[in-house]
Amino acid sequence: MVLVVLDHDGNKLRKGSLEALTRAWRLAEGLGEKVAGVLLAEEGAPLEEARKYVDILYTATLGPYTAEKWAAAVLEAAKMGAKAVVAPSSRQSRTYLGRVAYALKAGLLEDTLDSSLEGSEVHATRYAYLNRVTQRVKAALPVVLTVKTNTTPLAEPLEASAEVVPLAVPEVPTVEVLDRVAEEKKGVSLTEANVVVTGGRGMGSAEAFKGAEELAALLGGAVGATRAVVDAGWRPYGEQVGQTGKTVQPALYIALGVSGAVQHLAGMNKSKYIVAVNKDPEAPIYKHTDYGIVGDVHQVLPALIQAVKKLKD
Amino acid sequence: MKFVAVIRQVPDGESRLRIQGGKVDLSGATLILDQMDEYAVEEALRLKEKHGGEAVVVGFGPERAEEAIRTALAMGMDRGVHVVFEGFADPVAVAEALVPVLKEEAPTLVLTGGQQADWDSQALGAALAEGLGVPVVAWTTAIELEGDTAKAKHDLDEGAEWVRVRLPALFTTQQGLNEPRYPTLPGIMKAKKKEIRKVQAEVRASVELLSEEIQEKQRLGRILDGKDPVAAAEELVRLLHEEAKVI
Repeated sequence: MVLVVLDHDGNKLRKGSLEALTRAWRLAEGLGEKVAGVLLAEEGAPLEEARKYVDILYTATLGPYTAEKWAAAVLEAAKMGAKAVVAPSSRQSRTYLGRVAYALKAGLLEDTLDSSLEGSEVHATRYAYLNRVTQRVKAALPVVLTVKTNTTPLAEPLEASAEVVPLAVPEVPTVEVLDRVAEEKKGVSLTEANVVVTGGRGMGSAEAFKGAEELAALLGGAVGATRAVVDAGWRPYGEQVGQTGKTVQPALYIALGVSGAVQHLAGMNKSKYIVAVNKDPEAPIYKHTDYGIVGDVHQVLPALIQAVKKLKD
Repeated sequence: MKFVAVIRQVPDGESRLRIQGGKVDLSGATLILDQMDEYAVEEALRLKEKHGGEAVVVGFGPERAEEAIRTALAMGMDRGVHVVFEGFADPVAVAEALVPVLKEEAPTLVLTGGQQADWDSQALGAALAEGLGVPVVAWTTAIELEGDTAKAKHDLDEGAEWVRVRLPALFTTQQGLNEPRYPTLPGIMKAKKKEIRKVQAEVRASVELLSEEIQEKQRLGRILDGKDPVAAAEELVRLLHEEAKVI
């Protein structure tokens, strides 16, 4: 079988899970195998929704997330004969699946843009060198494959609901979670958003981000930030785009007062359209810009908000 | 106590990459100690300075990667181990090659970068932890030793958390963990005399690299003058709506 890890927010499968399902089904069809899901929960999980996408569903409720517990559960499910383990790419999945790949002696294909079965091998495309190089890689089965969000069509639900099989997950040495510092979640998730409005140092203050929030809300998008902005404490780390933050690939990326350092480009240079507003016409961001306005972000941003409102009317 | 930093040498993010014969050619590139691994070196040094013991740098890569190990020694690490391998090895294969070396070192704590700037991989630390049979704390922003445990803060996909972990354990780094020091001139001089033990790597690669290319998306480069912000904004919105069709 092909095992797919179904990531969720407690109530709903994440978009990335529906993309991973499409990849899993394609591999399974090529191999003539079934698709098994593994649904792991801290407390609640969207069981009925998950049952609609797979042939069999393994479940476990494990308490606070740790890489060791999640890896142990995936390995337990993989024991049922997984030829491939497929999962949506996230920091957490890329951690516990690093353990799983080592334990299974499997080829690890990380953060893939596409994947295909070629005989008994899986070929995949991925980015490397801070998102600057496109690699073609291959690995023999079994493989562990993570799927980059916004790369793959979403899976459609099946007619029947899968049988649910609780997993007996062995106890493993792991960390003890003391205190979780949750981030206030509002609006669309940054990595799933079709529009991202990012502010850089040129925004000048935390207050100026109200405009970025308003523009993002009007466009149904999410707010991003550069490292300088996060270091200054203007925005939370969860919004950071770049090498040490999140990697995004939206249809529209709007960079406000962003100079365009390599580390930032690594997190957004694959966006479909890039818009930049910066007062310095020599800023490196303009080498990567589809549409730009050279001007003061404090004047251009309110004007942009008005222009978008006008369009919506 | 023994604090081990696992490091690699990668191209400088600012330097141009060249493709030769369908693969990235690093022969002319500026290579540096991976900046995410620099945090690991710095943290090993700080832990040693605070708690005593030894700080060891373990590097993986071709002969020339010795330069990156020397950089870590110049920052203050006590000695180095160089696991030598020429060619492409995926992160899991690298972990398999490093595990016997690390087991021999028997460290209290192992640190490595949260992401490798050449593979854009996040798997090395987790795979090492699996091979060593110890817990992994990924994307760590703070570490405090307390007896035979460590208290650490690390990033999750959403938010962050404090955890306690029994040592030995493996930590991958994140920005904010520390501010890496620069090697000093006396540090560089001393580093020349420090021991680097060479180990020839056994590598069983499970991923094969087929080809690499630089696909820079051609950008339209339509830059408007913002002297009249209202007119520029309206034109931009029109272009995004009518031409790009993204809003």
